Amino acid sequence: MGDSLSRRTFLKSSALAVAGLAASASAAAAAPLLRGPDNEPDEDVKKVLHERFGTRPIREGHVTLDVPDVAPDSREVPLLVESDLPMIADNFVKGFHIVVDHNPDIYLAGFNFTAAIGAATLDTRIKMRRSSHVRIIAETSKGELWSTSRFVYTSLNGCV
Amino acid sequence: MRDDIGQGKIILPAKITRDAVINIRALLSHPMLTGMSRDQAGIPIPAWYVKEVEVIYGGERVAHFEWTSGISRDPFVGFSLRAVKEAPLNVTWKDNKGGVFTHSADVKFTTTTADATR
Repeated sequence: MGDSLSRRTFLKSSALAVAGLAASASAAAAAPLLRGPDNEPDEDVKKVLHERFGTRPIREGHVTLDVPDVAPDSREVPLLVESDLPMIADNFVKGFHIVVDHNPDIYLAGFNFTAAIGAATLDTRIKMRRSSHVRIIAETSKGELWSTSRFVYTSLNGCV
Repeated sequence: MRDDIGQGKIILPAKITRDAVINIRALLSHPMLTGMSRDQAGIPIPAWYVKEVEVIYGGERVAHFEWTSGISRDPFVGFSLRAVKEAPLNVTWKDNKGGVFTHSADVKFTTTTADATR
């Protein structure tokens, strides 16, 4: 009995520790200033961004990404992307680009829109090889680039 | 091998009013293989995935997507559409092995009998 109690206490405390880790991870995600250089793309990612977007500046803002902090299944990580940028005939979101730093294909997908869709929203599911930043870049018809990123923890390699 | 590959559906909201921005959901049965896994005998399984998706609304291409094998198996995509006309909505998926799959749904405005007699 004493044994199982101590085991229970151990499980409880480790569960708390995990919860604490998750909480600090989401706190870091919520405060971009605290994230600091961690959000900085590495050389491979920079190369991909440069090939796609040239030297145009990619600024943070105007895009929201809803994704679990910890993905239960790295073969199917749900993404929900929205933007508050205008969606009118001469000024609209031309596309959302998905970049996952540590995936075999760093540039995972591009979703190109016209003004006819009325609102820039996207809902899909992606694979992730391992824990990584997931970046969304919104490109406007005027060529501006707006982005957001979230760090997603995964367990198994989902790139099957 | 699965026998449902290429089956799919386009889901529209139950009620659509003119000029409303509606949510479209498009689903296709497809293995979306990266080419990085092996079968039980250790033989690599070749890549097989949807590369391109086109969304045509009343003859006009309103969206197109470029995908890699990083999109999950049985790919799902949800996006918006401004319902400006009653017209078919066709979604075509093209894979890297030449497979082309099209599914469609009709955008129709909801008219209640009260509206019709008014």
